[in-house]
Formats: sequence, C-alpha cells, structure tokens
Amino acid sequence: MSERSGQVTAESVPVAGGAAVEDDATDSTSATSAPGGSAPTRKRTLADSAPATTAERLTERLRQVRGRGALEIGLVFVLVQLGCVIYYLVDPVGFPYLEKSNFNVLSQSIPVLAILAIGAGVLIIAGEFDLSLGANFTFCALVFTRWYADGASAWAAGGMALLTGIAIALVNGILTTKARIPSFIVTLGMMLFWEGAALFYNGTTAALMVPSETVKQVFTADLGFFRGQVLWLLGVGVLFWLLVHRHRLGNHIFAVGGNPAAARAISINPDRVKIIAFGILGLCVALAAVLTAVRTGSVQPGTGRGMELKAIAATVVGGVALSGGRGSVLGMVLGAALILTVQDILLLGGAPGFYLDLFVGLIIVAAALFNRMIEGRAK
Amino acid sequence: MSPTATAERTGEVLLELSGITKRYGANTVLDDVSFKIHQGEVVGLLGDNGAGKSTLVKTMSGVVTAEEGDYLWRGEKLGTVNRQETEKRGVETIFQDSALVPSMTITRNIFMGRELTNALGLLKLRKMDGIAAQILDSVVTIEGIKSPRQLVGSLSGGQQQAVAIARAVHFKRSLLILDEPTSALAVRATEALLNYLLQLKSEGVSSVLVTHNLHHAFQICDRHIVMNHGRKILDVRREDTSVEELTAAVVEGPEGLRRHREGKPLA
Repeated sequence: MSERSGQVTAESVPVAGGAAVEDDATDSTSATSAPGGSAPTRKRTLADSAPATTAERLTERLRQVRGRGALEIGLVFVLVQLGCVIYYLVDPVGFPYLEKSNFNVLSQSIPVLAILAIGAGVLIIAGEFDLSLGANFTFCALVFTRWYADGASAWAAGGMALLTGIAIALVNGILTTKARIPSFIVTLGMMLFWEGAALFYNGTTAALMVPSETVKQVFTADLGFFRGQVLWLLGVGVLFWLLVHRHRLGNHIFAVGGNPAAARAISINPDRVKIIAFGILGLCVALAAVLTAVRTGSVQPGTGRGMELKAIAATVVGGVALSGGRGSVLGMVLGAALILTVQDILLLGGAPGFYLDLFVGLIIVAAALFNRMIEGRAK
Repeated sequence: MSPTATAERTGEVLLELSGITKRYGANTVLDDVSFKIHQGEVVGLLGDNGAGKSTLVKTMSGVVTAEEGDYLWRGEKLGTVNRQETEKRGVETIFQDSALVPSMTITRNIFMGRELTNALGLLKLRKMDGIAAQILDSVVTIEGIKSPRQLVGSLSGGQQQAVAIARAVHFKRSLLILDEPTSALAVRATEALLNYLLQLKSEGVSSVLVTHNLHHAFQICDRHIVMNHGRKILDVRREDTSVEELTAAVVEGPEGLRRHREGKPLA
C-alpha cells in the first residue's frame, strides 16, 4: 500500500455525481481503480473484442479501406468495367471497348491524369491546393520540348523539366507557408503568372520536337495491348503508395492535413511537411508533362489549361477529402481512371462532345456526395 | 507522514516559471506569474474563463513564448522556449480536442512524430500495431476499442482521451498537461482518467490538470493554483485549503478569497 498516494486512494475517487458508477461496475472499472501498478484481477483487453473469424477480420479490413475512401470508388470502377465488358461481348462492333485501339488510347490518357491526381491528391491530404498545376504542366512540357528540340539529351531536357516543375511548386509552397497566404490565392495568381510566362518563353505557336526511337521506347513504348505510360504510372503509383501510406513522411502529411494543431503539439513542423508536399506535386506535374510531350511531339501554350481542375476532380472522385487528412493513392488513380473511362464510353457510344463534360461533371458531384456521406459516418 | 507530503518536500523541482508576463497587444493576459511543479506532483490549475489558464498552458508547453520571465527546467534556465525544446524534455500537452488526428488510426496517432521505421523511413506498422495494442491493454482500460487500427474519429471522447494519454505514457513524458480533459467525458471515463493520473504520479510523472470542475481537481490534486485576470491569486496545498475556499477564489477572485478567509462565505 506504500505506493498509494496521499489521503486519496484509488477507491476513494468517486466522481462528483457518479454514484451510479458502482452499480454497474464491470471488470473494466475495477481494473482502472487500481493505481500504483497493482495487478488487477481480470482486465479487459483488446483481444476480447478483436475480430476472431476470417469474416470478421475481412469486415474490419474493409472498414479500414473505407476509412481511406478507396472502397466505394473501387467498387464503382469494377462495376463500370464489368458493364463495359458485357456490353462489348454483346455488341463488339457498336461498342469496341476491349479492342487494342481503345486500350491504346486509354493507356495513354489515364496515366497522365493519374500522375497529376497523385500530385494534387498528396497536397490536398496535406491541406493545401495548387491551382497552378495546369500552368506548371504547360511550362514543364515547353521546357522539355524546347530543350530537346534544341539538341539537349533527353536526360538533360527531362532533368530541366523536373527542376522547373519542382521549383514552380516549391515557390507556391514557400509563399503559402512562410507568407501565410492561403494556397488558393497564391496558386491562383501563380496560375496566371505561369500561363503568361509560357507565352513569354515560347510565343503563341506550338513547340515541336521529334523524339528519338529510344525516347519513345522509354516513355511511350507500344506493349501490344497497353502503352509504356502504364508502366510509368505503375512505378509512380507504387512509389507514392509507399511514401504516403507506409512511410514516416506520409504519416506526417496525414497528420498535418488532418489536424495541424495536433501535429504541431507533437513537434511536427507543418510548414516543412507542406513544402515537401508541394515539391511532390511539382515532381508529378513534370513527369506527366514529359510523358505528354513525348507522346504528342508538339506542345501548345494552352496544353495544360484546366488540368488542375481535372486533377482535383480525379482526387475527389477517388475519395480524397478536400478538407485534408484523408485519401489514398489507389483512390486517386482509380478516380482518374474512372473519369477517363466514362469519357471513353461516351466517345465509343458516339456521344457529341458537349455530352462529355456533362457526364464528367455529374460523376464529380456524385463522388463528392459519396465522400460527404463517408465523412459523416467517420465522425 | 503522508507520501504526498514526502513527494512534495523531496521531489525535485521539475518546472519553474518565474515572473511570466505575456501580452497580446495592449492586453496583458499573464501578469508576473510564478510557480513551481515538482516531480510526481499533480497540480490543479483553476480559474474562470479568461483567467489566463490557456495561455499559461501554452507557455508551459512551449507553444507560446512570454515577453518577460524565465522558464526553468530542473533548475536550468531555457535559452529559447519553443515546442521542440519542451518536447525534448518530455512535456506533453493533451488539449481538449486537438491532441489527435481523427482521420488516422490509433496506432498512427500514438506514434505520430515518433514512428518506428527502418533505415529507409518505411513504417514498421506491424510492430507499432503490436505495441499500441499492448499500451492500450496495459494502461488504458476504456471499453470498446477493438483494434489499434481503428480510426480515432470513430472513437468516443473518452476513448480518444485514453489514446492521447496512452501515447504520453508510452513515451515516458515527465510532465503531462491536461487541458479540460474531463469536459467531454462520461462519468465512468472521468473516474478512469483521474485514477490514471494517480497511477502516473506513483510512477513519478507530474501532471497539471486544467479544469472547471473543482470537485475533480480537489479529489486528486496535491496542490491548486488559482488564476484570476492573468494573476496567480492562490497557490495552496490540498491540506491547507477546501473546496469552499477554491470555489470562492475561482468565482469571485481575490475579493471572494478575502471574504472566505474572514469567515464570510459567498452569499
């Protein structure tokens, strides 16, 4: 009993107005009322309520996936794909979905948007936006094309593009965190600035380049059913999945976006984490720009216009919370894939151009509604 | 002799604030505040809204730097007072709402900022889950937590406090500051929490309990500090005071304290 502290022993801590407590005292309360490390007789442990059967474990696992917002989008994605395959099997001529030509198109467009979505999504998880993503994309593509066309090696041109993309994003990050200007405003201004800078750098005409066979093989190889961009997406996806969901930095990104005060209280530096997240966005933007430049061989000064909104839309569709702190890399990729698949379906079905945005818009709003519901339940 | 008294007399001075003054513009929120916290001591920090409790908490935890006054840790004056410095010395603040990230799992919250990783910085999730389960089992006995991989946002207020405290304990903090920890808690969870502070005390951990609830404070605190309009108006050991005196000081300030001592309790 010597460890008992002062006049107040454990048993003598009745909470004011807590007479009812003794009535339903369970093993848990008797355990808590044993301070000083004395062993309780029966202690309730996690194991008591841990999932025991495979079914329960699966439910628990699904709930965790849902918590990150990737489950719904995954289900919808699978359903859409199933629908497309069935439609194709019924009417292969009217709806040529499972054709090489179609997959060639999809596997060139999806990776670019998905990589952009990963960049935008990581930053949104950290609690910030970058509206200059599209302008940054254009500028990086121009830098790559111009350097390459001027005779620089693909390495040098690619390196310059990466440096440009990261630098533009870092400037946004530093202005946002150090000058305490909301990223929405900073990057809105920077979007206009870099759009103008692209015209200044390249003029109003398209920048042209002819990629060598090696460069084509590296970035956009024809792999039969798929194009090489898919491999790049795979690499980037795995890399950032590791970084976001399995790395210390990722933990800090979620913490800073989810509750900056809690992060600061534990002495995580939110500014540093956010600037790194901006840097990640810059890296993704530059890579997507290079992939696009090599594929098209010509870059218009307006190439990336609106790209920032598409990327943000893809993250929302993929279950990323715009308020920060929640999201998954898989969701971002699936979000991009879903948006472009629906576009593809409409094109294959012969819908006129203006239908596309109409449906894409609906998907985005529906996805936001979904997210709202999930968030409501998570709280 | 009561063990409490021994602890107070022999316990090393852990934290000493001396002459702390903090102004926000023309507004003086802390006015020449001094006090000591000994090792293994539970101190109640009381006061009405606007008394300066929150600013004092932020000063102790290093989030806010005072214009005047010294911050001494184990008798040694800190040159710069910031969160990094106080964190290094083992000061942990559990704020009412903001201690945890709701969108992250219990494990990730417990190890936030102190993750176990391999050389590449990749998380050792399995190991952390195991330790988190152990901590939750051994130190916190709040019912209903199923797995350390549950999202914190899905827990009740009491369970969240428990996780925050479990974290502080696991990382062997030396001074725990709890800002209104019981305000969101059910009766039983409050009881568990208060008992828990006593357990920590027996392990030599000091805590500062900031609360509106005088009854909670009086039950477990060795000493009480009452703030009023940025000034410390009372700093008294439990043996030398009563709930009535504390109430008078908190509700009516120095005036109420004087009247109480003259034997005329408040109307």
